[in-house]
Amino acid sequence: MYLALKEIRHEKLRYGLIISMIVLIAYLIFILTGLAFGLAGENTQAIDSWDAKSIVLNKDSNINLSQSVITSDQAKNAKLTSKQAVIGSTPVVAKDKKRAKVSATFIGAKRNQFVLKDLKVSSGRKARSSHEVVVDQKFKDEGYRLGDKITLNSSNDSYQIVGFTKNAKINISPIIYGTVSTWQSLRGMMNVKVVGSAIVSKTAKYHAKNSHLKTYSISSFISKLPGYSAQNTTFGFMIGFLMIISLIIIAVFLYILTMQALPIYAVLRAQGIPARTLVATVTSQSLILMVAGLVIGAALTAATASIIPIGVPMSFNIPVLTWISIGLLIMGFIGSAIPAQKIATVDPVKVIGG
Amino acid sequence: MSVIELKNINKYFGSGISKVHVLHDVNFSANRGELILVVGPSGSGKSTFLTIAGGLQTPTSGEVIVEGKPIAQLSTAQRDKLRLNQIGFVLQSYSLVPYLKVKEQFTFVNKVKRQGNLNEAELAGLLKQLGIEQLTNKFPGELSGGQTQRVAIARALFANPDIVLADEPTAALDSARVAEVGKLFKELAETRDKAVVVVTHDTRLMQFADKAYRIMDGKMTETSVTKAAAE
Repeated sequence: MYLALKEIRHEKLRYGLIISMIVLIAYLIFILTGLAFGLAGENTQAIDSWDAKSIVLNKDSNINLSQSVITSDQAKNAKLTSKQAVIGSTPVVAKDKKRAKVSATFIGAKRNQFVLKDLKVSSGRKARSSHEVVVDQKFKDEGYRLGDKITLNSSNDSYQIVGFTKNAKINISPIIYGTVSTWQSLRGMMNVKVVGSAIVSKTAKYHAKNSHLKTYSISSFISKLPGYSAQNTTFGFMIGFLMIISLIIIAVFLYILTMQALPIYAVLRAQGIPARTLVATVTSQSLILMVAGLVIGAALTAATASIIPIGVPMSFNIPVLTWISIGLLIMGFIGSAIPAQKIATVDPVKVIGG
Repeated sequence: MSVIELKNINKYFGSGISKVHVLHDVNFSANRGELILVVGPSGSGKSTFLTIAGGLQTPTSGEVIVEGKPIAQLSTAQRDKLRLNQIGFVLQSYSLVPYLKVKEQFTFVNKVKRQGNLNEAELAGLLKQLGIEQLTNKFPGELSGGQTQRVAIARALFANPDIVLADEPTAALDSARVAEVGKLFKELAETRDKAVVVVTHDTRLMQFADKAYRIMDGKMTETSVTKAAAE
Protein backbone atom coordinates (compact mmCIF):
# COMPACT_ATOMS: atom_id res chain seq x y z
CA MET A 1 0.00 0.00 0.00
CA TYR A 2 2.90 2.35 0.85
CA LEU A 3 4.50 2.06 -2.59
CA ALA A 4 1.08 2.14 -4.28
CA LEU A 5 0.08 5.44 -2.68
CA LYS A 6 3.51 6.99 -3.18
CA GLU A 7 3.56 6.13 -6.87
CA ILE A 8 0.04 7.45 -7.43
CA ARG A 9 0.92 10.71 -5.64
CA HIS A 10 4.12 11.06 -7.62
CA GLU A 11 2.60 10.23 -11.01
CA LYS A 12 -0.50 12.40 -10.66
CA LEU A 13 -1.16 12.96 -14.35
CA ARG A 14 -0.69 9.35 -15.35
CA TYR A 15 -2.92 7.97 -12.61
CA GLY A 16 -5.31 10.91 -12.90
CA LEU A 17 -6.01 9.88 -16.48
CA ILE A 18 -6.70 6.29 -15.46
CA ILE A 19 -8.99 7.43 -12.65
CA SER A 20 -10.83 9.79 -15.00
CA MET A 21 -11.53 6.89 -17.34
CA ILE A 22 -12.83 4.77 -14.48
CA VAL A 23 -14.95 7.75 -13.35
CA LEU A 24 -16.54 7.97 -16.80
CA ILE A 25 -17.21 4.25 -16.92
CA ALA A 26 -18.62 4.16 -13.38
CA TYR A 27 -20.75 7.24 -14.15
CA LEU A 28 -22.07 5.67 -17.34
CA ILE A 29 -22.85 2.40 -15.57
CA PHE A 30 -24.64 4.19 -12.70
CA ILE A 31 -26.69 6.34 -15.07
CA LEU A 32 -27.57 3.37 -17.30
CA THR A 33 -28.53 1.33 -14.24
CA GLY A 34 -30.66 4.24 -13.00
CA LEU A 35 -32.37 4.44 -16.39
CA ALA A 36 -32.81 0.66 -16.57
CA PHE A 37 -34.47 0.62 -13.16
CA GLY A 38 -36.46 3.76 -13.90
CA LEU A 39 -37.84 2.33 -17.12
CA ALA A 40 -38.40 -1.09 -15.59
CA GLY A 41 -40.24 0.62 -12.74
CA GLU A 42 -42.50 2.49 -15.16
CA ASN A 43 -43.41 -0.84 -16.70
CA THR A 44 -44.41 -2.42 -13.43
CA GLN A 45 -45.24 0.38 -10.95
CA ALA A 46 -48.97 -0.33 -10.92
CA ILE A 47 -48.52 -4.10 -10.71
CA ASP A 48 -46.08 -3.62 -7.84
CA SER A 49 -48.55 -1.34 -6.04
CA TRP A 50 -51.26 -4.04 -6.26
CA ASP A 51 -48.89 -6.45 -4.53
CA ALA A 52 -50.29 -9.25 -6.69
CA LYS A 53 -48.58 -12.64 -6.95
CA SER A 54 -50.50 -14.08 -9.90
CA ILE A 55 -52.81 -13.06 -12.71
CA VAL A 56 -55.51 -14.96 -14.56
CA LEU A 57 -55.79 -14.19 -18.29
CA ASN A 58 -57.59 -15.64 -21.26
CA LYS A 59 -55.19 -18.36 -22.39
CA ASP A 60 -55.43 -17.15 -26.01
CA SER A 61 -54.29 -13.63 -25.09
CA ASN A 62 -50.57 -14.44 -25.43
CA ILE A 63 -50.13 -13.17 -21.84
CA ASN A 64 -51.14 -9.70 -22.99
CA LEU A 65 -53.44 -7.82 -20.66
CA SER A 66 -54.93 -5.63 -23.40
CA GLN A 67 -55.71 -8.66 -25.55
CA SER A 68 -57.32 -10.65 -22.77
CA VAL A 69 -61.07 -10.79 -22.23
CA ILE A 70 -62.75 -12.95 -19.61
CA THR A 71 -66.41 -13.66 -20.20
CA SER A 72 -69.01 -14.23 -17.50
CA ASP A 73 -69.29 -17.89 -18.52
CA GLN A 74 -65.53 -18.38 -18.17
CA ALA A 75 -65.50 -16.75 -14.77
CA LYS A 76 -68.59 -18.42 -13.33
CA ASN A 77 -66.59 -20.96 -11.30
CA ALA A 78 -63.95 -18.47 -10.19
CA LYS A 79 -64.25 -17.82 -6.48
CA LEU A 80 -63.20 -14.29 -5.64
CA THR A 81 -62.12 -13.49 -2.11
CA SER A 82 -60.61 -10.32 -0.70
CA LYS A 83 -57.32 -11.39 -2.24
CA GLN A 84 -58.61 -11.30 -5.83
CA ALA A 85 -59.69 -8.39 -7.98
CA VAL A 86 -61.09 -8.14 -11.48
CA ILE A 87 -59.56 -5.56 -13.79
CA GLY A 88 -60.34 -4.44 -17.32
CA SER A 89 -57.54 -2.83 -19.26
CA THR A 90 -57.51 -0.89 -22.50
CA PRO A 91 -55.21 1.71 -24.04
CA VAL A 92 -56.84 5.17 -24.34
CA VAL A 93 -56.02 8.71 -25.34
CA ALA A 94 -57.20 11.18 -22.71
CA LYS A 95 -57.93 14.73 -23.70
CA ASP A 96 -59.21 17.97 -22.33
CA LYS A 97 -59.90 21.06 -24.40
CA LYS A 98 -57.33 23.09 -22.45
CA ARG A 99 -54.65 20.43 -22.07
CA ALA A 100 -52.36 18.26 -24.15
CA LYS A 101 -53.53 14.77 -25.09
CA VAL A 102 -52.08 11.97 -22.96
CA SER A 103 -51.72 8.37 -24.09
CA ALA A 104 -52.72 6.25 -21.12
CA THR A 105 -54.04 2.88 -19.99
CA PHE A 106 -57.53 2.73 -18.57
CA ILE A 107 -57.87 0.24 -15.75
CA GLY A 108 -61.44 -0.53 -14.79
CA ALA A 109 -61.89 -2.18 -11.42
CA LYS A 110 -64.49 -2.73 -8.71
CA ARG A 111 -64.51 -0.34 -5.78
CA ASN A 112 -64.96 -3.16 -3.27
CA GLN A 113 -61.91 -5.10 -4.54
CA PHE A 114 -58.32 -4.41 -3.51
CA VAL A 115 -57.14 -2.64 -6.69
CA LEU A 116 -59.41 0.35 -6.05
CA LYS A 117 -60.05 -0.29 -2.36
CA ASP A 118 -56.35 -0.09 -1.45
CA LEU A 119 -55.55 2.66 -4.00
CA LYS A 120 -53.59 5.49 -2.34
CA VAL A 121 -54.31 8.97 -3.67
CA SER A 122 -51.62 11.61 -3.34
CA SER A 123 -54.16 14.42 -3.72
CA GLY A 124 -57.96 14.56 -4.06
CA ARG A 125 -60.02 11.48 -3.26
CA LYS A 126 -61.05 8.11 -4.63
CA ALA A 127 -63.78 7.86 -7.30
CA ARG A 128 -67.32 7.46 -6.06
CA SER A 129 -69.18 7.17 -9.36
CA SER A 130 -68.54 5.75 -12.81
CA HIS A 131 -67.88 9.25 -14.19
CA GLU A 132 -65.07 9.94 -11.77
CA VAL A 133 -61.50 8.78 -12.26
CA VAL A 134 -58.22 8.76 -10.35
CA VAL A 135 -55.20 9.32 -12.60
CA ASP A 136 -51.46 8.92 -12.41
CA GLN A 137 -49.28 11.86 -11.32
CA LYS A 138 -48.07 12.13 -14.94
CA PHE A 139 -51.35 13.92 -15.74
CA LYS A 140 -50.52 16.53 -13.10
CA ASP A 141 -47.07 16.99 -14.68
CA GLU A 142 -48.86 17.53 -18.02
CA GLY A 143 -50.96 20.32 -16.50
CA TYR A 144 -54.16 18.47 -15.56
CA ARG A 145 -55.76 19.48 -12.28
CA LEU A 146 -58.38 18.09 -9.91
CA GLY A 147 -61.83 18.79 -11.30
CA ASP A 148 -60.72 18.69 -14.93
CA LYS A 149 -63.05 16.71 -17.16
CA ILE A 150 -61.42 14.42 -19.65
CA THR A 151 -62.81 12.45 -22.56
CA LEU A 152 -61.37 9.09 -23.58
CA ASN A 153 -60.76 8.08 -27.20
CA SER A 154 -63.69 9.15 -29.39
CA SER A 155 -66.28 8.78 -26.66
CA ASN A 156 -68.42 11.80 -25.83
CA ASP A 157 -68.65 10.78 -22.19
CA SER A 158 -66.53 12.85 -19.87
CA TYR A 159 -64.88 11.77 -16.65
CA GLN A 160 -63.90 14.08 -13.84
CA ILE A 161 -60.44 13.77 -12.31
CA VAL A 162 -61.10 13.50 -8.57
CA GLY A 163 -57.69 12.24 -7.47
CA PHE A 164 -54.06 11.79 -8.39
CA THR A 165 -52.03 8.77 -7.46
CA LYS A 166 -48.28 8.23 -7.57
CA ASN A 167 -46.46 5.34 -9.21
CA ALA A 168 -49.40 4.20 -11.29
CA LYS A 169 -47.88 3.24 -14.61
CA ILE A 170 -48.01 0.05 -16.56
CA ASN A 171 -45.82 -0.54 -19.59
CA ILE A 172 -44.61 3.08 -19.25
CA SER A 173 -48.17 4.27 -19.74
CA PRO A 174 -49.92 6.33 -17.00
CA ILE A 175 -53.04 4.72 -15.61
CA ILE A 176 -56.55 6.11 -15.40
CA TYR A 177 -58.43 4.19 -12.71
CA GLY A 178 -62.17 3.93 -13.32
CA THR A 179 -64.94 1.37 -13.19
CA VAL A 180 -65.36 -1.92 -15.03
CA SER A 181 -68.52 -0.59 -16.72
CA THR A 182 -66.53 2.33 -18.17
CA TRP A 183 -63.95 -0.18 -19.43
CA GLN A 184 -66.78 -2.16 -21.06
CA SER A 185 -68.02 1.00 -22.69
CA LEU A 186 -64.54 1.91 -23.97
CA ARG A 187 -64.11 -1.59 -25.42
CA GLY A 188 -67.61 -1.46 -26.99
CA MET A 189 -68.74 -4.47 -24.97
CA MET A 190 -71.79 -3.04 -23.25
CA ASN A 191 -74.04 -5.78 -24.57
CA VAL A 192 -71.53 -8.59 -24.11
CA LYS A 193 -71.37 -10.61 -20.94
CA VAL A 194 -67.76 -9.93 -19.91
CA VAL A 195 -66.14 -9.71 -16.49
CA GLY A 196 -62.91 -7.94 -17.37
CA SER A 197 -59.47 -8.48 -18.87
CA ALA A 198 -57.94 -10.33 -15.96
CA ILE A 199 -58.24 -11.40 -12.37
CA VAL A 200 -55.26 -10.37 -10.27
CA SER A 201 -54.60 -12.33 -7.10
CA LYS A 202 -52.50 -11.70 -4.03
CA THR A 203 -51.96 -15.45 -3.75
CA ALA A 204 -49.64 -17.36 -6.04
CA LYS A 205 -51.78 -20.49 -6.43
CA TYR A 206 -55.13 -19.01 -7.44
CA HIS A 207 -57.00 -20.81 -10.24
CA ALA A 208 -60.17 -19.65 -12.00
CA LYS A 209 -61.23 -23.26 -12.81
CA ASN A 210 -61.91 -22.81 -16.48
CA SER A 211 -60.05 -24.34 -19.39
CA HIS A 212 -60.05 -21.01 -21.31
CA LEU A 213 -58.35 -19.20 -18.46
CA LYS A 214 -54.79 -19.61 -17.30
CA THR A 215 -52.95 -18.42 -14.19
CA TYR A 216 -49.54 -16.83 -14.64
CA SER A 217 -47.08 -15.75 -12.01
CA ILE A 218 -46.63 -11.98 -11.87
CA SER A 219 -42.96 -12.34 -12.83
CA SER A 220 -43.79 -14.26 -16.03
CA PHE A 221 -46.58 -11.77 -16.78
CA ILE A 222 -44.15 -8.85 -16.32
CA SER A 223 -41.51 -10.51 -18.47
CA LYS A 224 -44.09 -10.66 -21.29
CA LEU A 225 -44.97 -6.96 -21.10
CA PRO A 226 -44.28 -5.58 -24.59
CA GLY A 227 -40.62 -4.54 -24.85
CA TYR A 228 -39.90 -5.17 -21.17
CA SER A 229 -37.49 -8.10 -21.53
CA ALA A 230 -35.80 -6.66 -24.65
CA GLN A 231 -35.22 -3.37 -22.86
CA ASN A 232 -33.82 -4.99 -19.73
CA THR A 233 -31.62 -7.34 -21.74
CA THR A 234 -30.25 -4.39 -23.72
CA PHE A 235 -29.41 -2.47 -20.55
CA GLY A 236 -27.95 -5.62 -19.01
CA PHE A 237 -25.67 -6.10 -22.00
CA MET A 238 -24.58 -2.46 -21.97
CA ILE A 239 -23.77 -2.58 -18.26
CA GLY A 240 -22.01 -5.93 -18.68
CA PHE A 241 -19.91 -4.66 -21.58
CA LEU A 242 -18.98 -1.53 -19.63
CA MET A 243 -17.81 -3.70 -16.75
CA ILE A 244 -15.68 -5.74 -19.13
CA ILE A 245 -14.31 -2.50 -20.63
CA SER A 246 -13.37 -1.33 -17.12
CA LEU A 247 -11.58 -4.65 -16.59
CA ILE A 248 -9.64 -4.21 -19.84
CA ILE A 249 -8.72 -0.60 -19.04
CA ILE A 250 -7.38 -1.51 -15.61
CA ALA A 251 -5.56 -4.56 -16.96
CA VAL A 252 -3.99 -2.73 -19.93
CA PHE A 253 -2.92 0.37 -18.01
CA LEU A 254 -1.54 -1.52 -15.04
CA TYR A 255 0.20 -3.92 -17.41
CA ILE A 256 1.88 -1.06 -19.29
CA LEU A 257 2.86 0.71 -16.05
CA THR A 258 4.13 -2.53 -14.58
CA MET A 259 6.17 -3.41 -17.65
CA GLN A 260 7.76 0.04 -17.53
CA ALA A 261 8.58 -0.43 -13.85
CA LEU A 262 9.66 -4.06 -14.14
CA PRO A 263 13.42 -3.29 -13.77
CA ILE A 264 12.65 -1.50 -10.49
CA TYR A 265 10.61 -4.46 -9.27
CA ALA A 266 13.45 -6.77 -10.33
CA VAL A 267 15.97 -4.79 -8.29
CA LEU A 268 13.61 -4.73 -5.31
CA ARG A 269 13.32 -8.51 -5.60
CA ALA A 270 17.15 -8.70 -5.72
CA GLN A 271 17.23 -6.60 -2.57
CA GLY A 272 15.08 -9.23 -0.88
CA ILE A 273 11.72 -7.46 -0.98
CA PRO A 274 9.22 -10.36 -0.96
CA ALA A 275 7.17 -10.89 -4.13
CA ARG A 276 3.94 -10.69 -2.10
CA THR A 277 4.81 -7.13 -1.03
CA LEU A 278 5.20 -6.08 -4.66
CA VAL A 279 2.11 -7.99 -5.79
CA ALA A 280 0.16 -6.31 -2.99
CA THR A 281 1.43 -2.98 -4.32
CA VAL A 282 -0.05 -3.45 -7.79
CA THR A 283 -3.26 -4.98 -6.42
CA SER A 284 -3.80 -2.17 -3.93
CA GLN A 285 -2.99 0.35 -6.66
CA SER A 286 -5.76 -1.16 -8.77
CA LEU A 287 -8.21 -1.04 -5.87
CA ILE A 288 -7.26 2.56 -5.01
CA LEU A 289 -7.87 3.58 -8.63
CA MET A 290 -11.21 1.76 -8.72
CA VAL A 291 -12.39 3.18 -5.37
CA ALA A 292 -11.40 6.71 -6.40
CA GLY A 293 -13.16 6.27 -9.76
CA LEU A 294 -16.28 4.85 -8.12
CA VAL A 295 -16.52 7.58 -5.47
CA ILE A 296 -16.15 10.38 -8.00
CA GLY A 297 -18.48 8.56 -10.44
CA ALA A 298 -21.09 8.18 -7.68
CA ALA A 299 -20.78 11.88 -6.77
CA LEU A 300 -21.26 12.87 -10.43
CA THR A 301 -24.27 10.54 -10.66
CA ALA A 302 -25.81 12.10 -7.55
CA ALA A 303 -25.24 15.58 -9.03
CA THR A 304 -26.83 14.48 -12.31
CA ALA A 305 -29.81 12.95 -10.49
CA SER A 306 -30.45 16.24 -8.70
CA ILE A 307 -30.71 18.24 -11.93
CA ILE A 308 -32.27 15.71 -14.29
CA PRO A 309 -35.77 16.67 -15.60
CA ILE A 310 -38.77 14.98 -13.92
CA GLY A 311 -39.80 13.28 -17.17
CA VAL A 312 -36.61 11.21 -17.37
CA PRO A 313 -37.36 7.83 -15.82
CA MET A 314 -34.43 7.35 -13.50
CA SER A 315 -34.43 5.36 -10.32
CA PHE A 316 -31.38 4.64 -8.19
CA ASN A 317 -31.51 1.34 -6.41
CA ILE A 318 -28.78 1.63 -3.75
CA PRO A 319 -28.35 -2.13 -3.09
CA VAL A 320 -28.00 -2.78 -6.84
CA LEU A 321 -25.55 0.12 -7.27
CA THR A 322 -23.58 -1.22 -4.31
CA TRP A 323 -23.38 -4.63 -5.98
CA ILE A 324 -22.32 -3.02 -9.25
CA SER A 325 -19.60 -1.12 -7.37
CA ILE A 326 -18.43 -4.35 -5.77
CA GLY A 327 -18.47 -5.92 -9.25
CA LEU A 328 -16.28 -3.10 -10.57
CA LEU A 329 -13.88 -3.54 -7.66
CA ILE A 330 -13.66 -7.24 -8.50
CA MET A 331 -13.00 -6.29 -12.15
CA GLY A 332 -10.16 -4.05 -10.96
CA PHE A 333 -8.80 -6.86 -8.84
CA ILE A 334 -8.92 -9.25 -11.81
CA GLY A 335 -7.40 -6.52 -14.00
CA SER A 336 -4.38 -6.40 -11.72
CA ALA A 337 -3.87 -10.17 -11.90
CA ILE A 338 -1.77 -10.15 -15.10
CA PRO A 339 0.65 -7.41 -13.98
CA ALA A 340 0.76 -9.03 -10.53
CA GLN A 341 1.74 -12.30 -12.14
CA LYS A 342 4.50 -10.49 -14.09
CA ILE A 343 5.86 -9.03 -10.88
CA ALA A 344 5.65 -12.32 -9.00
CA THR A 345 7.72 -14.04 -11.67
CA VAL A 346 10.19 -11.24 -12.46
CA ASP A 347 13.77 -12.51 -12.60
CA PRO A 348 16.27 -10.04 -11.06
CA VAL A 349 19.09 -11.80 -12.90
CA LYS A 350 17.74 -10.53 -16.23
CA VAL A 351 18.05 -6.93 -15.03
CA ILE A 352 21.39 -7.30 -13.29
CA GLY A 353 22.77 -9.55 -16.01
CA GLY A 354 24.47 -12.88 -15.73
CA MET B 1 35.60 -17.25 9.47
CA SER B 2 34.72 -15.94 6.04
CA VAL B 3 31.41 -14.17 5.93
CA ILE B 4 30.80 -15.42 2.42
CA GLU B 5 32.52 -18.26 0.65
CA LEU B 6 32.10 -19.78 -2.83
CA LYS B 7 33.56 -23.26 -3.27
CA ASN B 8 34.23 -24.92 -6.63
CA ILE B 9 31.39 -23.04 -8.36
CA ASN B 10 30.58 -24.07 -11.91
CA LYS B 11 27.80 -22.58 -13.95
CA TYR B 12 26.58 -23.72 -17.35
CA PHE B 13 23.98 -22.01 -19.52
CA GLY B 14 22.08 -23.71 -22.34
CA SER B 15 22.39 -27.31 -23.44
CA GLY B 16 23.75 -29.42 -26.26
CA ILE B 17 25.96 -27.58 -28.75
CA SER B 18 24.89 -24.21 -27.32
CA LYS B 19 25.99 -25.16 -23.81
CA VAL B 20 28.27 -22.49 -22.35
CA HIS B 21 30.53 -22.95 -19.35
CA VAL B 22 30.31 -19.53 -17.72
CA LEU B 23 32.09 -20.12 -14.40
CA HIS B 24 34.92 -22.66 -13.98
CA ASP B 25 35.63 -23.98 -10.49
CA VAL B 26 35.38 -20.55 -8.91
CA ASN B 27 36.65 -20.25 -5.35
CA PHE B 28 36.15 -17.05 -3.44
CA SER B 29 35.98 -15.84 0.13
CA ALA B 30 35.46 -12.51 1.85
CA ASN B 31 35.90 -11.45 5.45
CA ARG B 32 34.32 -8.67 7.46
CA GLY B 33 36.12 -5.34 7.20
CA GLU B 34 37.50 -6.14 3.74
CA LEU B 35 36.97 -4.44 0.42
CA ILE B 36 37.31 -7.14 -2.24
CA LEU B 37 37.41 -6.41 -5.94
CA VAL B 38 36.41 -8.84 -8.67
CA VAL B 39 37.88 -7.37 -11.83
CA GLY B 40 37.27 -8.53 -15.35
CA PRO B 41 36.13 -7.38 -18.78
CA SER B 42 32.58 -7.56 -20.12
CA GLY B 43 31.40 -11.13 -20.67
CA SER B 44 33.98 -12.59 -18.29
CA GLY B 45 31.31 -13.96 -15.87
CA LYS B 46 31.40 -11.15 -13.30
CA SER B 47 27.63 -10.66 -13.16
CA THR B 48 26.99 -14.42 -13.01
CA PHE B 49 29.41 -14.58 -10.09
CA LEU B 50 27.58 -11.69 -8.38
CA THR B 51 24.11 -13.19 -8.82
CA ILE B 52 25.26 -16.59 -7.55
CA ALA B 53 26.99 -15.01 -4.56
CA GLY B 54 23.80 -13.05 -3.83
CA GLY B 55 21.59 -16.14 -3.99
CA LEU B 56 19.73 -14.90 -7.06
CA GLN B 57 20.59 -17.98 -9.07
CA THR B 58 21.94 -21.37 -8.22
CA PRO B 59 25.25 -22.76 -9.48
CA THR B 60 25.31 -25.92 -11.59
CA SER B 61 27.75 -27.32 -9.07
CA GLY B 62 29.62 -26.07 -6.04
CA GLU B 63 28.55 -24.43 -2.82
CA VAL B 64 27.78 -20.91 -1.62
CA ILE B 65 28.20 -20.47 2.12
CA VAL B 66 26.98 -17.38 3.94
CA GLU B 67 27.93 -16.98 7.60
CA GLY B 68 28.90 -20.65 7.68
CA LYS B 69 25.59 -21.92 6.25
CA PRO B 70 25.20 -23.32 2.72
CA ILE B 71 22.37 -21.57 0.90
CA ALA B 72 21.68 -24.21 -1.77
CA GLN B 73 18.74 -25.76 0.08
CA LEU B 74 17.03 -22.45 0.91
CA SER B 75 13.54 -21.82 -0.49
CA THR B 76 12.75 -18.68 -2.51
CA ALA B 77 11.28 -17.02 0.60
CA GLN B 78 14.33 -17.94 2.66
CA ARG B 79 16.63 -16.53 -0.03
CA ASP B 80 14.54 -13.31 -0.03
CA LYS B 81 15.03 -13.15 3.71
CA LEU B 82 18.75 -13.78 3.37
CA ARG B 83 19.12 -10.93 0.88
CA LEU B 84 16.94 -8.63 2.94
CA ASN B 85 18.85 -9.28 6.15
CA GLN B 86 22.40 -10.20 5.23
CA ILE B 87 23.19 -9.02 1.73
CA GLY B 88 22.99 -5.47 0.46
CA PHE B 89 22.99 -4.88 -3.28
CA VAL B 90 24.33 -1.75 -4.93
CA LEU B 91 23.53 -1.90 -8.60
CA GLN B 92 24.58 0.09 -11.62
CA SER B 93 21.09 1.46 -12.17
CA TYR B 94 17.54 1.25 -10.82
CA SER B 95 18.85 0.82 -7.27
CA LEU B 96 16.37 3.38 -5.98
CA VAL B 97 12.60 3.55 -6.29
CA PRO B 98 12.08 6.63 -8.50
CA TYR B 99 8.90 7.84 -6.82
CA LEU B 100 10.24 7.69 -3.26
CA LYS B 101 12.20 10.57 -1.75
CA VAL B 102 15.60 9.66 -0.33
CA LYS B 103 14.22 9.45 3.23
CA GLU B 104 11.27 7.37 2.01
CA GLN B 105 13.63 4.77 0.52
CA PHE B 106 14.59 3.96 4.13
CA THR B 107 10.98 4.16 5.37
CA PHE B 108 10.07 1.55 2.76
CA VAL B 109 12.82 -0.79 4.01
CA ASN B 110 11.55 -0.25 7.55
CA LYS B 111 8.06 -1.26 6.46
CA VAL B 112 9.28 -4.51 4.89
CA LYS B 113 12.02 -5.37 7.39
CA ARG B 114 10.84 -4.23 10.79
CA GLN B 115 13.88 -5.19 12.85
CA GLY B 116 17.63 -4.95 12.62
CA ASN B 117 17.80 -1.80 10.50
CA LEU B 118 19.82 1.25 11.47
CA ASN B 119 18.06 3.49 13.95
CA GLU B 120 17.49 7.19 13.30
CA ALA B 121 20.78 8.30 14.83
CA GLU B 122 22.75 5.61 13.01
CA LEU B 123 21.07 6.51 9.74
CA ALA B 124 21.89 10.18 10.29
CA GLY B 125 25.52 9.19 10.92
CA LEU B 126 25.61 7.08 7.76
CA LEU B 127 24.10 9.87 5.64
CA LYS B 128 26.66 12.29 7.08
CA GLN B 129 29.49 9.86 6.39
CA LEU B 130 28.26 9.59 2.80
CA GLY B 131 27.79 13.36 2.53
CA ILE B 132 24.14 13.13 1.54
CA GLU B 133 22.41 14.36 4.68
CA GLN B 134 21.06 17.37 2.78
CA LEU B 135 19.39 15.24 0.11
CA THR B 136 16.73 13.46 2.15
CA ASN B 137 13.83 15.37 0.63
CA LYS B 138 14.89 14.86 -2.96
CA PHE B 139 13.62 12.31 -5.45
CA PRO B 140 16.24 10.11 -7.21
CA GLY B 141 15.51 11.99 -10.44
CA GLU B 142 16.78 15.19 -8.79
CA LEU B 143 20.18 13.69 -7.86
CA SER B 144 23.43 13.61 -9.81
CA GLY B 145 25.02 10.25 -10.76
CA GLY B 146 27.42 10.36 -7.81
CA GLN B 147 24.70 11.36 -5.36
CA THR B 148 22.44 8.58 -6.63
CA GLN B 149 25.21 6.04 -6.10
CA ARG B 150 25.81 7.29 -2.54
CA VAL B 151 22.10 7.06 -1.73
CA ALA B 152 22.07 3.53 -3.21
CA ILE B 153 24.97 2.63 -0.91
CA ALA B 154 23.12 4.12 2.07
CA ARG B 155 20.00 2.20 1.06
CA ALA B 156 22.01 -1.05 0.95
CA LEU B 157 23.67 -0.39 4.31
CA PHE B 158 20.48 0.76 6.05
CA ALA B 159 19.32 -2.85 6.47
CA ASN B 160 22.63 -3.46 8.25
CA PRO B 161 23.76 -6.43 6.09
CA ASP B 162 26.95 -8.41 6.68
CA ILE B 163 27.85 -8.33 2.99
CA VAL B 164 27.55 -5.60 0.39
CA LEU B 165 27.62 -6.72 -3.24
CA ALA B 166 28.20 -3.86 -5.67
CA ASP B 167 27.85 -4.19 -9.43
CA GLU B 168 29.92 -1.68 -11.45
CA PRO B 169 29.33 1.12 -8.92
CA THR B 170 31.72 3.47 -10.70
CA ALA B 171 30.33 3.12 -14.20
CA ALA B 172 29.94 6.55 -15.81
CA LEU B 173 31.88 8.32 -13.05
CA ASP B 174 34.98 10.45 -13.67
CA SER B 175 38.31 9.62 -11.98
CA ALA B 176 37.77 11.99 -9.07
CA ARG B 177 34.40 10.42 -8.34
CA VAL B 178 35.85 6.91 -8.74
CA ALA B 179 38.43 7.73 -6.09
CA GLU B 180 35.70 9.05 -3.80
CA VAL B 181 33.63 5.89 -4.18
CA GLY B 182 36.71 3.69 -3.67
CA LYS B 183 37.60 5.51 -0.44
CA LEU B 184 34.04 5.33 0.72
CA PHE B 185 33.76 1.58 0.21
CA LYS B 186 37.08 1.07 1.98
CA GLU B 187 35.97 3.25 4.87
CA LEU B 188 32.55 1.59 5.11
CA ALA B 189 34.08 -1.89 5.11
CA GLU B 190 36.46 -0.94 7.91
CA THR B 191 34.30 1.28 10.10
CA ARG B 192 31.11 -0.74 9.75
CA ASP B 193 32.75 -4.15 9.70
CA LYS B 194 31.19 -5.26 6.41
CA ALA B 195 32.50 -7.47 3.65
CA VAL B 196 32.23 -5.23 0.58
CA VAL B 197 32.52 -7.08 -2.72
CA VAL B 198 32.77 -4.88 -5.79
CA VAL B 199 32.42 -6.42 -9.22
CA THR B 200 33.92 -4.08 -11.79
CA HIS B 201 36.01 -3.66 -14.90
CA ASP B 202 37.35 -0.41 -13.43
CA THR B 203 40.92 -1.02 -12.22
CA ARG B 204 41.08 2.53 -10.82
CA LEU B 205 39.39 1.12 -7.69
CA MET B 206 42.23 -1.34 -7.12
CA GLN B 207 44.31 0.98 -4.94
CA PHE B 208 41.55 0.90 -2.29
CA ALA B 209 41.06 -2.90 -2.24
CA ASP B 210 42.25 -5.28 0.45
CA LYS B 211 42.02 -8.24 -1.86
CA ALA B 212 41.40 -8.68 -5.58
CA TYR B 213 40.27 -11.44 -7.89
CA ARG B 214 40.70 -11.43 -11.60
CA ILE B 215 38.01 -13.15 -13.66
CA MET B 216 38.57 -14.02 -17.30
CA ASP B 217 36.46 -16.39 -19.39
CA GLY B 218 34.81 -17.66 -16.25
CA LYS B 219 38.04 -18.54 -14.50
CA MET B 220 38.73 -16.65 -11.28
CA THR B 221 42.15 -16.23 -9.73
CA GLU B 222 43.23 -14.28 -6.69
CA THR B 223 45.66 -11.62 -7.67
CA SER B 224 47.82 -9.17 -5.80
CA VAL B 225 46.30 -5.73 -5.49
CA THR B 226 49.30 -3.95 -6.91
CA LYS B 227 49.53 -6.33 -9.90
CA ALA B 228 45.91 -5.85 -10.79
CA ALA B 229 46.23 -2.08 -10.41
CA ALA B 230 49.21 -2.05 -12.72
CA GLU B 231 47.21 -3.88 -15.41
